[in-house]
Amino acid sequence: MTSTRRLQKELADLRSSDLKSFKDIQVDEANLLVWNGLIIPENPPYNKGAFRIEINFPAEYPFKPPKICFKTKIYHPNIDEKGQVCLPIISAENWKPATKTDQVIQALIALVNDPEPEHPLRADLAEEFQKDRKKFFKTAEDFTRKHSEKRPNE
Amino acid sequence: MWFLIDFIRNIMNHILQLFRFGRKTITNKLSIYIKTNTGRSLAVDLDPKWNIKVVKELVAPQLDLQPDEVKIIFAGRELDDNIIIEECDLGEKSILHAVKARPRKKNLDKHDLERNVIEEGIEESSSSKPLSQTLVDLQLENEERENISDELKERSKAHFFVHCSQCKELCPGKLRVRCSICKGGAFTVHRDPECWDDVLKAHRIHGCCENHEIPCVTNDQGDLPFAEFYFKCARHSSGGESDFAAPLNLIKINIKNVPCLACTDVVDTVLVFPCASGHVTCLDCFRQYCLSRLMDRQFICHPDIGYTLTCPARCDNSFIEEIHHFKLLPKQHYDRYQHFAAEEYVLQAGGILCPQPGCGMGLIVGEDCLKVVCQGCGFVFCKNCLQGYHLGECLPEAPNSGNAGSCLYEFDPERAAYARWDEASTVTIKVITKPCPQCRTPTERAGGCMHMVCTRSGCGCEWCWVCQTEWTRDCMGAHWFG
Repeated sequence: MTSTRRLQKELADLRSSDLKSFKDIQVDEANLLVWNGLIIPENPPYNKGAFRIEINFPAEYPFKPPKICFKTKIYHPNIDEKGQVCLPIISAENWKPATKTDQVIQALIALVNDPEPEHPLRADLAEEFQKDRKKFFKTAEDFTRKHSEKRPNE
Repeated sequence: MWFLIDFIRNIMNHILQLFRFGRKTITNKLSIYIKTNTGRSLAVDLDPKWNIKVVKELVAPQLDLQPDEVKIIFAGRELDDNIIIEECDLGEKSILHAVKARPRKKNLDKHDLERNVIEEGIEESSSSKPLSQTLVDLQLENEERENISDELKERSKAHFFVHCSQCKELCPGKLRVRCSICKGGAFTVHRDPECWDDVLKAHRIHGCCENHEIPCVTNDQGDLPFAEFYFKCARHSSGGESDFAAPLNLIKINIKNVPCLACTDVVDTVLVFPCASGHVTCLDCFRQYCLSRLMDRQFICHPDIGYTLTCPARCDNSFIEEIHHFKLLPKQHYDRYQHFAAEEYVLQAGGILCPQPGCGMGLIVGEDCLKVVCQGCGFVFCKNCLQGYHLGECLPEAPNSGNAGSCLYEFDPERAAYARWDEASTVTIKVITKPCPQCRTPTERAGGCMHMVCTRSGCGCEWCWVCQTEWTRDCMGAHWFG
């Protein structure tokens, strides 16, 4: 199957490239279609924690995009309460089969580090982010402290 | 008595020899046909080690000619005397053409003379092996052709792939050529095709027709006819001149070792999309790509090409023009492809599909006609709401015909609600979907915002999940995220 062969390669590449902002990649070898990993943002208010994400690949991968879901609660204008995230690179209209998961993760990390309030999933947070940055940072930091996982040894 | 039997045996042997004509012993025989320009056809067994000179000696007496008067033509070329048959890509039951070399005319006018000079010049340099053996892969650019290493030479020899309707699969193909006027195969081309356009498009290469005593000409000025290229399957033995196969021009030997865009493997046979970047997929991934697009009904109805796809990387101008490539799909999915293509065609032509489950017949209905009678299943329905035909306005929902008072016997309506054929899925679809306001395709919203984009190919309507009308700035302000 196309998806398995491709995912095996991508996983091997990703593990050997040892990204510093995406660690602890866990994949059940019997089901390569679901990956787990820790996002380790660099920018405040998220740089004190790590956020677990789940990447779900469809059986038609790479002709259909993967879906990303946050398993750790995060206070972010582009990520909703259910953990859904709106990432243009993996939207159905923009998806290209040649895009590698590595690029998707880089795009996700960039979005976490620098929120895009112009294309929000949570309009209230986007408004707060733009109008009252201080309050937004404080709540987000509290959220990070309370919900996020421990960052792996750096 | 005995001498009589001997005599009969002698005669029999003689006749048999006549049939085989040729006293040479054949070790590894190849049965082919030789067709002449006098309308005769001979069945001949050849040894692949023989050269063309031997073939001429064999054929000449049958045509009442001297061997040096005979021209052997195959696949667009006159074959030289010293060519060995096994170099010629000659399959079992192929047809060789043997014609009498035309005597040069004595009194030529100037026009003819010029043309003959050109012809001769070309013939001398190019009459050698048949086309398919000398052609370099059409995917190579001119400058690339000149610096091919010896190791690459075998791989870069022209390889063609066809979908063979007899073998029902992807097969290696053979390029053949015939006269575009009389469709006869005794035809020599004036130059090699250099690109796929030369092969696939008509009227690009001239040639010389020798199928009949009087050569074919294009017009009154005596211009030479055009070559018509076609393909045969190289896997099954030739079934005569009407046996041809659809060329799959996007499938190529991966001489540049490009990895597949989807699985990133480097494989030997690939499909190169007709986009500027020439994106490459392996055939497995191509099938997977087609399948995932087909299931989502994302093929595109192109006015000139038909039901087709673009490069998976969404490049511009990358439609697959030869739709026989979709024959690479397993049969059941190809059938579905044809089914969907027909449905899309009906819808685009302003027709409707019968809403009766299991029917779905395409119907073209007049604009004012509201009452439609399906010619397939006989269902009578309203063109607007696609429910059973009714008088007056369409109802928003189909009336629930459970507890009609006129019923003569009693039943438990609750039980009946569960005991409906196909009803469960109909209900589920009704509950979880909303119709696209433009094409009415039931649409499910799996998450995200209220801004819907219809994924049905050809629709693409942008609509609001809340208002069920076109998406507007007001929707964005009021309920973008619900």
